[in-house]
Amino acid sequence: MNVVLLVVLGGLMHATRSFSPSGPPGSGGTLLAFGYVLATAFFAGGLFRQLRLPRLTGYIAAGIVAGPMGLGLLSRPMVASLDVVNGIAVAMIALTAGSELELRAMRPLLRSIRWITLVGVVGTAVLLSAAVWLLRPVLPFMAELGTLQAIAVAVVLGVVMVAQSPAVVVALRDELRADGAVTRTVLGVVVLADLLVIVLFAVTSTVAKALFGAGADAAQTAATLAWEILGSLGAGALVGTVLAIYLRKVAGGASLFLFLTTVVIAEIGQRLHFDPLLVALAAGVLVRNATHVAEALHRELQPSSLPVSIVFFAVAGASLHLDALATAWLPASVIVLVRGGGLLAGSRVGARLAGAQPEVARYAGFGLLPQAGLALALSMLFAKTFPEFGAAASALTLGVVALNELIAPALYRSALVRCGEAGRADAETDTAAASALEVVRH
Amino acid sequence: MHHRGRLTGSGAAAARAVAASVAALLPALAMASVDGAPAAAVPDAPEVVIKTILAMLLLVGLAYLGGHPRVQAWEEKLRVSQVITAGFPFVLLGLVARHPAVGVVTAPVLAQMGTLLGFALGWIGLVAGFRFDARLFGGLPPGVARIVALATSIPFACVVGLTGFALLSISGGLGEAAARAPALVRDALILGTAGAMTAKTSARLLGTAGSASVLSRVARIEELAGVLGLAAVAAYFRPHADVGWQLPGTAWLLVTVGLGATLGLLAYAMLSTARSRPEFVVLTLGTVSFGAGAASYLHLSPIVVTFIAGALLANFPGTHRARLGAALHRLERPVYLLSLFAIGAVWDVADWRGWVLIPIFTAARFIGKRLGANAAAGGHGVLLGPREREALAVAPMGPLAIAIVVNAQLLYPDRSISPVASAIIGGAILTEVAVQLVTHGKLSTLERRAGALRGEPAATVDRSREATG
Repeated sequence: MNVVLLVVLGGLMHATRSFSPSGPPGSGGTLLAFGYVLATAFFAGGLFRQLRLPRLTGYIAAGIVAGPMGLGLLSRPMVASLDVVNGIAVAMIALTAGSELELRAMRPLLRSIRWITLVGVVGTAVLLSAAVWLLRPVLPFMAELGTLQAIAVAVVLGVVMVAQSPAVVVALRDELRADGAVTRTVLGVVVLADLLVIVLFAVTSTVAKALFGAGADAAQTAATLAWEILGSLGAGALVGTVLAIYLRKVAGGASLFLFLTTVVIAEIGQRLHFDPLLVALAAGVLVRNATHVAEALHRELQPSSLPVSIVFFAVAGASLHLDALATAWLPASVIVLVRGGGLLAGSRVGARLAGAQPEVARYAGFGLLPQAGLALALSMLFAKTFPEFGAAASALTLGVVALNELIAPALYRSALVRCGEAGRADAETDTAAASALEVVRH
Repeated sequence: MHHRGRLTGSGAAAARAVAASVAALLPALAMASVDGAPAAAVPDAPEVVIKTILAMLLLVGLAYLGGHPRVQAWEEKLRVSQVITAGFPFVLLGLVARHPAVGVVTAPVLAQMGTLLGFALGWIGLVAGFRFDARLFGGLPPGVARIVALATSIPFACVVGLTGFALLSISGGLGEAAARAPALVRDALILGTAGAMTAKTSARLLGTAGSASVLSRVARIEELAGVLGLAAVAAYFRPHADVGWQLPGTAWLLVTVGLGATLGLLAYAMLSTARSRPEFVVLTLGTVSFGAGAASYLHLSPIVVTFIAGALLANFPGTHRARLGAALHRLERPVYLLSLFAIGAVWDVADWRGWVLIPIFTAARFIGKRLGANAAAGGHGVLLGPREREALAVAPMGPLAIAIVVNAQLLYPDRSISPVASAIIGGAILTEVAVQLVTHGKLSTLERRAGALRGEPAATVDRSREATG
């Protein structure tokens, strides 16, 4: 059935687009793209599920196949017009993730999270920087750089390419209803790593810019970073307080209110130079750990989170620059292998140093492999920061993201299944319900 | 029975979920439309963007509140229709938001609001079509078809004739060439189609009388005439005729029907696969967006395309009907209010031609409705008494009439449609005010009498009225 519906949807879309294939998207184009992406990615996700692959890989694949690099059913302006969903999706996913981060329950895992972040993530960033340095002969944009400059660029690229994807981690956890030490540790690490990567990018790119002769103001960078991180946390606390009050005192129309809040976080937060992920995460953590309305928050977010996630991942697929792979497939493949090896080995070492459970040591690394929004955003930022060679360098980074986006979710899914945490959230809910029933009976 | 209750509960929950997510996604669509504007055209200043976003969010919140059951209960209590309580204020909000001093809806934002409008029209069309259950025609006494035909065609002809003449005069010539100008004929047809529509609330005039149900159904069947009129206008008066496929008008009409039917079948197949509430949300959103988007892309009417799909969905068997019906109904009014905001934002109040057309349109509609009611009263079949005739003659314009002009604005964004929009918006408000003034006392008296005769408490009468409305 999924295949038939996909074919029919594709046929209709092709027929409609043939009316004006090269025309501007206009209002009809945006709406058409939204509806088509939503329906197609949904059925592609179902198809992938039948193949025992993650649904979100199906969403991404649908975007790739229908997008400008595939069948061209979605033009570039159409895909660009759907970009607005990205910020909302990130805020929504972070709010969901935050509302599930119970600090008391996470406390025993903090040691593992710290060590895996330090050894796995930071260690892999160093490895990636070394790999870029060594790959200089096959990277034309590095050819004309001086030694110091090349080192600086390699370090910045190492930071860009180590970035993880909290969105994919949360989406897979929700899809598989996974829970346990591996799931929680991975979530903690990707959130912490997200923060770390933002800080490291700001610092390394400022230093690199200074080496290129551009005026780099360390004080200004520190102030910007402080505003972005502390400001985001402060804004998140404010948002969390407002949400808690609303859910407790008003409750009616909560789904709409929550969605509008994510829109505010994404759109207005971005304009105020806050990190939407941090704002939403802080809000969610506050609601979970300081109030009693976390369950209501989670429940009310559900209706709109699926459509937003579907469009988010499909648009991510449609935005993939697969053409970048044509020119940079060799270094990109090497980098992907180095990154994968570094993260898997580093997280294993980190988990052992922290004395974590064997499952965490064996499987947590797979959760660090997926890449999506942050890596893409940093790639674009890199290109903007270094306009002389940024475009050429972004072919490499986008190629790496493309490969990781396609392969890594399936690997993490497989890891969650193998470590036995898939479906455990449902089992725990059932047990809790049974215990509650038992209490009521007595 | 138990099973039925459970199904209803699940339907209501799904409806809430769909309503919440669709309401929630409207600002995203609005934002998408704003973000999709050409970079040079959108003012990038953060304060401007933040102001626009906050205003849009406030608007969505207000529309949600405007559609709240409590607001509807107040309307029932005050015996006024939504055009007065919520509709007109939203048109005013649109006007205010457009004002340069407020600067929320700037020209580029306005140009890109089509995404939101397209979705709103698609939703309204699906709602109207979904009401077209085959049971609507069941138990109708013979002669109803004649009533519908006369009560619709005579006002249509009156409005087309009188406003056509007025448009001709305004355009500066009564010559044959001017009379054959496609834009003029198109505008007269749009005015006629909107003018022929009757609000289903007109059945309230009849209280609990059995004929109220018939009149309510007549008003719904009239919607079909409105949709047909809109389909014909969109097919035969093609906007940007030089773009895309070059087909004759009749072929475009067939394309419209084909697209609507295909969408209906596709939606049926898709909705049948939904296993959970979130999945149902995704597929409902996908259906409306895809259908309305495809129609807008082809420069067809989203209302017509989704109306056909909705009519098919209403008549196919399956568990989707309860869930979809509840969801569509729940969001009908907020979506309608948002489209009113948009029409307020594009309303060119400085265009004097619109103000001239308002009284002409209103008068032509009143005359046509009166003539139509009188003509329908005679003949064989159902006999219309004085009350039924009165109800038909003074009926206010329904939301579909407003949706038709919103659709016309979307199809023909040039300035030529501006007087038509003014005439229909102004006419709708004027008609509603006149109807309220004329019938307010009469309505109370009739309902009191009906309640007293049947020995029913007022609450029962209210419930009956809801059922007929």
